[in-house]
Amino acid sequence: MTYTFQWGEALKHLPYLLGGAWLSLVLAFLGFWGGALIGLFGAVGKVYGGRLIYRIVDVYVVFFTNTPALVQIFFLFYALPEVGILLSPFTAVLIGLVLNSGAYLTEIQRAGFTSVRQTEIEAAEVLGMSLAQIVRYVIVPHIAKTLYAPLSSFYIWLVLGTSMAAIFGVEELTGRAINISSTNFRTIEVFSVTALIYIAITILASAVLALIGRYAFRVRAKIF
Amino acid sequence: MLDRIISEAPRFFTYYNMVFLLEAMGRTLLMTLIGVSLGFVLGFMLDFARRTPGRAWLPLRLAATLYVETFRRIPFLVILFIVLFAIQGFRFSVSLFGVAMIAICVISSAFCAEIIRAGFDSIHQTQWDTAAVMNFGRLQTLRHVVLPQAWRVILPPAFAFMVMFIKDTALASQLGVVELTFAGKVLSTRGFSAILVFGTVLVLYFVLSYPLSRLGGWLERRLAPSRGR
Repeated sequence: MTYTFQWGEALKHLPYLLGGAWLSLVLAFLGFWGGALIGLFGAVGKVYGGRLIYRIVDVYVVFFTNTPALVQIFFLFYALPEVGILLSPFTAVLIGLVLNSGAYLTEIQRAGFTSVRQTEIEAAEVLGMSLAQIVRYVIVPHIAKTLYAPLSSFYIWLVLGTSMAAIFGVEELTGRAINISSTNFRTIEVFSVTALIYIAITILASAVLALIGRYAFRVRAKIF
Repeated sequence: MLDRIISEAPRFFTYYNMVFLLEAMGRTLLMTLIGVSLGFVLGFMLDFARRTPGRAWLPLRLAATLYVETFRRIPFLVILFIVLFAIQGFRFSVSLFGVAMIAICVISSAFCAEIIRAGFDSIHQTQWDTAAVMNFGRLQTLRHVVLPQAWRVILPPAFAFMVMFIKDTALASQLGVVELTFAGKVLSTRGFSAILVFGTVLVLYFVLSYPLSRLGGWLERRLAPSRGR
């Protein structure tokens, strides 16, 4: 029991760490929207596509959700150069995260699509609604309500997942914490501060998502 | 490229390499099993602590909530580093496997507590009240009334969680615990083609987690209809 804490050593680097936190959020944001785009195509393909498209999307989803993102990124980063594709650490991590979240978001968005029942659309048609009105007043509120909770918890999960980028040398929050602690050896302090920053940014992200949910989609969302 | 892999394959798929990979796979599975089962016991206790009644237990309730909310918001990698250096800083001698286990249990208990909470929340408060009227104790109510109904809600996400943990233990390779990902890194630094090595590792992870996620999906469909009461 001979450890003296020196918090000043860690707090000195707070602005540097916060810069890393920004990069973490950016990485999660890009990964999320890239994945959401893939997921949209995947979900549409799975629900409305033929048997073949269903199969292809299903293989993609099953493979990516059942293997670790870390090993997938290892594959992208170390194996692809053998075929002549050299990726920078940032691109490799980003592609890995996009492909991964694409697989999860395919399943999440599919659940949203299937939650709209055919009878509801027919009822809207009977009431004389145009297609735009049906989308605006029937389909979107429905999908938003089913999707909101899993999407926002997935986003938080993705923010935490970006810490993997540190392993490949991307200087996001965890990467910067490793940089600092390898020069001043105050690992416990630095990583405790890092953990607090992660808690802060995920709570911030939850709060923003809850506000968006409440005002844009009329979903009653909890922050905790 | 393809001919390189084909020419290398016989050298790679030798008996000792396979034993090495399978042992590492066993360690991944062991870490997951210990982590999830201990996590469930601890998570159960955490949830029980969050449900204690009255003002006297308020500090316990707050502590349990704080624990769950905190550790679900910290990346596993950061927890690994903190646990490793806290243990070394205070000069306890724990093996790297032990360090990884502690970190896994810290995280998994927080996640399990949430799964269990969702399960118990599905049981209406009136059932607790009825049991109390019939002079059941809190533990008795849990054992005879709540658990028999809640396990249907708890089980399917528990499998999804287990698959998630098989994948998360890959991060323990950063400490140097010889699990599947680390074994892949070792073989790749030994000069085998990275496509071959990490391809095999990916397939092995898939072999581990695919049956579990199928089982979880099956349970979800199987147990779902009885839920809508």
